[in-house]
Amino acid sequence: MFCINVDRLSKFYGSIKAVNDITLSVKSGQVFGFLGPNGAGKSTTIKLLTTLIQPSGGSLKILGIDAIKNPLQVRNKIGVVLQQPSYEPTLTVEKSLEKYGMMWDIPKSERKIRTEKLLNEFDLIEIRKKRNEDLSIGQRRRVQVAREFMHDMDLLFLDEPTVGLDPSARRKLLDYLKNKVNTGLTIFFTTHILTEAEYLCDEIAIIDKGKIIAVDTPTALKNRFGKEKTIKIHLLKNLQEIKSLLSGIVDCKIEFNTGTDITIHSTQSELVLMKILRILNENKIDIDDLSAVPTNLEEIFLKMVEENVSNY
Amino acid sequence: MFPIIRLVNRNLTISINPAFLLWQIIFPVIYIFIAGFAYSSLIQEVPFGSKGLAYPAFLASGMIGFNIMNSTLVSGIIIWNDRKYGMFEQIMSGPFTRPNYILSNICTIGIIGLVSAALIAVIGYPVFFDSIQFSLVTIPLIVFAAVTGSVLFGSIASIIATKLRSSEGFNVILNTAFLFFAFVSTAFYPASGAPEPLKTAFYLNPLTYLVDVIRAGIFGDITEFVILEMGILTIIATTLFIIATKLLTKLDF
Repeated sequence: MFCINVDRLSKFYGSIKAVNDITLSVKSGQVFGFLGPNGAGKSTTIKLLTTLIQPSGGSLKILGIDAIKNPLQVRNKIGVVLQQPSYEPTLTVEKSLEKYGMMWDIPKSERKIRTEKLLNEFDLIEIRKKRNEDLSIGQRRRVQVAREFMHDMDLLFLDEPTVGLDPSARRKLLDYLKNKVNTGLTIFFTTHILTEAEYLCDEIAIIDKGKIIAVDTPTALKNRFGKEKTIKIHLLKNLQEIKSLLSGIVDCKIEFNTGTDITIHSTQSELVLMKILRILNENKIDIDDLSAVPTNLEEIFLKMVEENVSNY
Repeated sequence: MFPIIRLVNRNLTISINPAFLLWQIIFPVIYIFIAGFAYSSLIQEVPFGSKGLAYPAFLASGMIGFNIMNSTLVSGIIIWNDRKYGMFEQIMSGPFTRPNYILSNICTIGIIGLVSAALIAVIGYPVFFDSIQFSLVTIPLIVFAAVTGSVLFGSIASIIATKLRSSEGFNVILNTAFLFFAFVSTAFYPASGAPEPLKTAFYLNPLTYLVDVIRAGIFGDITEFVILEMGILTIIATTLFIIATKLLTKLDF
């Protein structure tokens, strides 16, 4: 079952096409990653999906509800952590959670239980009496994310939730989200940090210039776009003739960064590597270090965005 | 619980703090009991309709209107803070509509205005005790004035909050506007003795109408002019409320 169905959705600001004719579906009970460079249209898409702004065209169904006709019905069932910080400066951390639960009409006794639970789960116990205005950026972000779990929801939108968090807090949050998905929650997640997307997301969409340029699982994206591998060789000595020695090798792109560092990009990396090693061996050139860089989502992302730029 | 009530609850929690309450009490107390009695040697009696009022009684009744105006600054501060600290967007992405948000602000300032008026009435009671003339008509009149005045000044503060992003700009404009309202009005002194241009300026100021209606309610002197002032107060409050609502509805994310 799909919990987000977007069909030819657009949002124009005058002549600027912030979101341009996007179509996508998000399955229930998964983490859907939404990636893109700055200004690609990620936040505008989230604002459209969360009914904060009205689209210029297209249709939008969230949890089976027509979000354009019944935005309030949708908002009653979703949670939203926006990219920008949101907090009441004069309230304490504890009071923030409690009041947010009240705003979602959670009964008082239940609010108390949930507040204590979230203060524990998000490591907020020590700062529970601190006012929001006195918190660090990371602490505030943790409160903002924790607060959203005061109410029940079927779908959670997280717009770069880990911004400002240290690596340990970031990993804790990602693990927390993974656990929540295991209990049936669906998460729509945007991030700039590709390793996060790789760690967390079941499916990924890449948006650039308001258009979706790819949708798939991280593994499938790697298989589709990550055939090219990178091999790095560090030679013991600086050799001027190395460039001419390797010039005859085909099916690859070789970069001679310095006289000792060679980077090879190839879709047939094993074959190319064997040829290079043979040449180096024949010419008695010693290797100091050799490494193969595994294909990661970041490389695929950069490649796709670059290709998209060159298509314009 | 209705969404508006939940938002009012939240608004009251974030805006009422000990410092605010203390200021709401101390400021009028200083005016009523220090300025009121200090100026009594200069101003023995203030003509008011068919009667004469002791200056502390005149000032205390004026302070009710002044305090209503002052306390409704809160509505502007709520909106401005919500925009600055991202809560407006957060609330709008939750189980609320824009009309919910607007109406909750109006209810909040109505409550704060009424409580504020009651507070000053209690504090000022000893000084206008002798001149009070309550009746079945006067009490609803005071409540009407308190609510209408709250909506009026709350709308002004809301309009300023929707138009300004910088805290400096917001504070300077709000304080300047409210300083003008406070001192170019009949809250502290009667219009009758003032020079003609100042007198005209007094009646270009909605606080004058608010204060006059409250005084008429407390001292039981409801004239045709007071009824006219009530009408003007209602029209201005309605107009400003509509403008504030439209601006809030158009606020973009």
